[in-house]
Amino acid sequence: MLKIENLHASVDGKEILKGIDLEINAGEVHAIMGPNGSGKSTLSNVLAGRPGYDVTEGAVHYNDKNLLELSPEERAWEGIFLAFQYPVEIPGVNNVYLLKAGLNAIRKHRGESELDAMDFMSIIREKMKLVDMDESLVRRSVNEGFSGGEKKRNEIFQMAVLEPKLAILDETDSGLDIDALKVVAGGVNKLRSKERAIVMITHYQRLLDYIEPDAVHVLADGRIVKTGDKSLALELEKRGYDWVLEETRV
Amino acid sequence: MTQPIKMLRDAAWQVYEQTGLPTTRNEDWKYTDLSRLTAVLGETWWTPSHAADLDKETVEEQSIPELDAYRLIFINGRFQEDMPNLPEGVSVVPLSTLLVSDADKAAKALEMDEKTPLFNGAIAVNTAMASDGACICIADGVKLDKPLYLLHVATSGGASHIRHGIWMGRGATAHVIEHYVGNSTDAGLTHNVTLVHLDEAATLYHDRLQLEAEKQFHLGRVDVKQLRNSRFVSHSLALGAALSRVDIAVSLSGVNASCVLNGLYLIGGRQHADHHTRIDHASPDCTSQETYKGVLSGRAHAVFNGKVVVHEGADGTDAKQSNGNLLLSDHAEVDTKPELEIYADEVKCAHGATVGQLDLEQLFYLQSRGLDKTSAKNVLTFAFADDALTQMISAPVRRYLERAALKRLPQGDELQEMV
Ligand SMILES: Nc1ncnc2c1ncn2[C@@H]1O[C@H](COP(=O)(O)OP(=O)(O)OP(=O)(O)O)[C@@H](O)[C@H]1O
Ligand SMILES: [Mg+2]
Repeated sequence: MLKIENLHASVDGKEILKGIDLEINAGEVHAIMGPNGSGKSTLSNVLAGRPGYDVTEGAVHYNDKNLLELSPEERAWEGIFLAFQYPVEIPGVNNVYLLKAGLNAIRKHRGESELDAMDFMSIIREKMKLVDMDESLVRRSVNEGFSGGEKKRNEIFQMAVLEPKLAILDETDSGLDIDALKVVAGGVNKLRSKERAIVMITHYQRLLDYIEPDAVHVLADGRIVKTGDKSLALELEKRGYDWVLEETRV
Repeated sequence: MTQPIKMLRDAAWQVYEQTGLPTTRNEDWKYTDLSRLTAVLGETWWTPSHAADLDKETVEEQSIPELDAYRLIFINGRFQEDMPNLPEGVSVVPLSTLLVSDADKAAKALEMDEKTPLFNGAIAVNTAMASDGACICIADGVKLDKPLYLLHVATSGGASHIRHGIWMGRGATAHVIEHYVGNSTDAGLTHNVTLVHLDEAATLYHDRLQLEAEKQFHLGRVDVKQLRNSRFVSHSLALGAALSRVDIAVSLSGVNASCVLNGLYLIGGRQHADHHTRIDHASPDCTSQETYKGVLSGRAHAVFNGKVVVHEGADGTDAKQSNGNLLLSDHAEVDTKPELEIYADEVKCAHGATVGQLDLEQLFYLQSRGLDKTSAKNVLTFAFADDALTQMISAPVRRYLERAALKRLPQGDELQEMV
């Protein structure tokens, strides 16, 4: 589904991603861990098409498409969804309106009919239940005045409504209380399917107790320096990153 | 014309001859050049044009839809004989009637004070020339059940000088909508002065909606005197006209009076819109709150100047003012100047102005959820502009404005669902 080859990317002339190789198949869940500032968000932003990043080398294939050629909205239409580490507040733009416009644009792209207000609202209600989202939050402007945890939950709620093929969750677990973490993880697990792939960026192996990953990668200084299974996350939790960095240097 | 009115008119004309029209050498008119107006309308710019017959359909087309109101129609500045049935305690008489029937009242409507802030020669012309308008009196304690809707349609070139007066008795409440539209392809001038007097504890919601035809010139002024505990809530919109200038001057001259001045200019092409406001805190414990928003595209030019003066002794003043501008093109231009003069001690004042572009993070967020770039830009622009309308009390008026605003955005029709 997603194949990243020797991806180099820089911001303002400073190289952040220094040759990433990663392959993710439909049905898989991958976790990416790594020290602060190592380039995890940069990678997810480049995949989602955020402006301001220069890809200087490498390629990204997504379902036989050259992903880097697509605009951010085209990527969304093709099924890519990024749950932001820091979701932005958009006063005056209603959550429900945003989701309806987004979902209908995606459906249109797939050649499906646009949903009318009634059908759309029944989807909204169903997904609200799925991630235990408060109706009053859904009715408000996008993230405006939301608490940190509410913003994260709103990202998962949007994901549930838009039903992406490739979901990238950038530290969605950070800032969530224990109950919220369980709810969010439950939502992600329900979304897990043979057709979907999920990339979870996280600092905590706790999340992986709820969502079992197929692979765990360590991203350090713009490269994936180690790949393992769930036990790698446990080891990182115990020992930190230094030993991985040592190992790769040798 | 009765003798007292003739004297008043002649005196005003003399003031005009002495002062002339404001020029760009005048600090308050630095960015708005009225020579464009005189060039188009020539020496006869003050000649009122005659009322044209407008068929019912056109009038309905130009009206705000779904608005249940007492409607008065002015065509090229002339009141159309069709006075709605008004409830008790509410009197509305056309100025043209007062001019022949009640010189005292007409003189009151034509009152002019050269010492009021932002006074200029155009006001004197209005006093000398105004031939019609609505003189509205709301008796003490009367709460008007529906808005009074003054619809002005310009159908031809030439100038219309309109004078409205609104006198609100103690504790009276009303909502007055001044709506300016047109279907003329010639350049003409709409020139309006509205006097507002709010007695103790009176409340007036005042909407001034300028959506003139694209070649029209528009000069407006609202002069507000407020007594104790009164409240004035104003929304001033500029979406139309080639060149428009609207001045609002509010005098808070009774304890605990409050005013809200909100505004929105949404212009493009080569449109020019100038908004000057002046708020005088002349009594203690008064509140003023002002939010003007601007959206400019093409080569549009906007001017905002908001001056708040807190006079000596006006302790307990609370004055907030902000002006935000969104420039959608590199060629659009805005000159904004919030001004604050304080001569009292215990005051709470805040003011600020911003000029910016769309927020790229917000834009990316919307795109990442599937909105194409144009829609995403429109959504953000609309949300920015709509913020100036949140305190409007009439849903149909707000909806009408939102639809009109969307129409002015590229592919904005696709977003009609937002409203
Ligand atoms: N717009 C920018 N301008 C300059 N430097 C940037 C910019 N964006 C990112 N960087 C730098 O790139 C590096 C990688 O940042 P990134 O946000 O990808 O890290 P991260 O791995 O997500 O870290 P964290 O775990 O703290 O979220 C950091 O050193 C950061 O300061
Ligand atoms: Mg990050």
